[in-house]
Amino acid sequence: MKLRTENEAQTKEAGYRLGKLLKKGDVVCFYGELGAGKTTMIKGIASAIGIEERDITSASFTIIAEYKKGTVPFYHIDLYRIEHGSADEIGLYDYIRGDGISVIEWAERLGEETSERCIKVRIACSNGEERDIEIEGVEI
Amino acid sequence: MLILGIDTSCDDTSAAIVENGVKILSNIVSSQDEVHKKYGGIVPELASRRHIEMILPVVDEALKKAKVEIKDISAVAVCHGPGLIGSLLIGVCFAKSLSYVNNIPLVAANHLEGHIFSSFLEEEKPEFPFIALIASGGHTSLVRVDDFGRYKELGRTRDDAAGEAYDKVAKLLGLSYPGGPIIDRLAQEGNSKAIDFPRAYLSGTFDFSFSGLKTAVLNFLRKIDSSLLTRHSSLIKDIAASFQSAVVDVLVRKTIEAAKEEGVRNVVLSGGVSANSALRENLTNRALEDGLRVYLPSLQLCTDNAAMIASVGYFLFKNNKLSSMSLNPEAYLPL
Repeated sequence: MKLRTENEAQTKEAGYRLGKLLKKGDVVCFYGELGAGKTTMIKGIASAIGIEERDITSASFTIIAEYKKGTVPFYHIDLYRIEHGSADEIGLYDYIRGDGISVIEWAERLGEETSERCIKVRIACSNGEERDIEIEGVEI
Repeated sequence: MLILGIDTSCDDTSAAIVENGVKILSNIVSSQDEVHKKYGGIVPELASRRHIEMILPVVDEALKKAKVEIKDISAVAVCHGPGLIGSLLIGVCFAKSLSYVNNIPLVAANHLEGHIFSSFLEEEKPEFPFIALIASGGHTSLVRVDDFGRYKELGRTRDDAAGEAYDKVAKLLGLSYPGGPIIDRLAQEGNSKAIDFPRAYLSGTFDFSFSGLKTAVLNFLRKIDSSLLTRHSSLIKDIAASFQSAVVDVLVRKTIEAAKEEGVRNVVLSGGVSANSALRENLTNRALEDGLRVYLPSLQLCTDNAAMIASVGYFLFKNNKLSSMSLNPEAYLPL
C-alpha cells in the first residue's frame, strides 16, 4: 500500500498505526535516504509498543539499540555504517526474529535472503515535510 | 583510599587507579580506533571481542603504573551503562570476578555521571551547583548538578548526538573516522560564514536536534560539483567550518541559556566533543561575557576513560552504595 504524509506528526502517526499491528518476531526493513524520515517513523512504531518516543534517537552510532521498557523487547538497528553483506559480523542474527520486534534502517545493506520475509517500508521525501511511504507485507 | 575504575562502555578498554576520588595514579586507555576505522564507526561485535583481549593487560598496566597491588585497592568501580551491551558486559563480568576472588567491594557507576565528574579530577574543581553539557558520539545532554548523586536532566538530543553528526558529515565528505578531530582541523582553515547551515534552537526546550543539519549538508553536497571537493580544497574547509559553527552555536547558546534560566554560575563541559577547539573557545568567550565560569576538562579526560569511573566509584563507596554479584549492565541507563 502507498500513502503520503504531509508533516512529521503524520509520519509518526503512520508509524504508530504500523506499530500496533506488529507482533513478536516481526522484522520491519526501512529503505530511504539520509533525512527521509526513517527514525521519525520508527519513533511512532516504538510509541505503539509502549516505549517513550523521546527515548528513540538515532542508532547509527551504536548500530543496535535495545529497548526493554515496552510491551515486547524492541530492537532498533541501523546499518548506515555497515558495508553490504557484512551484517554477519555485527551479530545481527542474534537479535532479529527472536523474542522481540526489530526495525532495520538502511536495509539495502542486508542480503536478500534476510529481508525476504520482512515487512518493507520505503520512504522518500517528496516536498518539504511531505513524505511518500510504501508499505509491503501489511496494510495499515 | 584507592579505587580501581574500569570502563568498557564503548570502543575503548580502560582501567585507572584513583586516590580519594580526585588524584589519578594511572589512567590507561586502549583505543580501538584502528579496529573500527574501515567501518567508519564502531562495530559492536568487534568491540566486545577486542575488550575480551584487552581487559586483563589494561588492568595489569593500571596497577603497575600506579605502583600498587590488588590488595591495596579499597573498591572496584565499574561502568554498568549506558553503552553497548556486549562491551559493558565484559567490564562488568571482569569487575565482578575480581571483586569476588579478592574479596573487594564492588560499586557500579553510570557512564554519564563519570563524564560529569571527570571535572573533579582536574586541579580546579567546580563548585555546586553547575550545568554540565555532555557531548559525545553517543550522547548530547544538558544536566543540572546540585551535588553528588543529585541530577536534573534539562534536555537531550532527539535524534543524532553531536559527535554522531560529526561522524556522519565526515563520511559524506569522504573523510575518515572519527570525524570530529578531522573536521575541527579543516574548519580552522575555512570560512565559517561561507554556507548558512540551519541551527535547530528548538525554542522552549533544552533538547537538541542535529538530524536536520546533517540533511542540510547532504543537500548542499548534491548541488555542487563533487570533483571540487578534494581533501585540501578551500570548499571542503569552508563546509567543515560552516558545519562546525552550526553545531557549536547551538551547543553554546543552549548551555548558556540553561545556566541563566537555572540561575547557576558554573558550567562544566564533558564528553568527547569537548575536545573540539571551537566549542572550547566559543563557550569560554560567551561565558565570560555573561559572567559565568567554565570548567574545561583536559583533553585526556574529555574522551572515555576509567579515571572518571573510579572518581564516581569513590563517592559511591564512601556513601556505602555497594553493588552485589547480581549486577548487570544496562544499555539504556538514564542518570
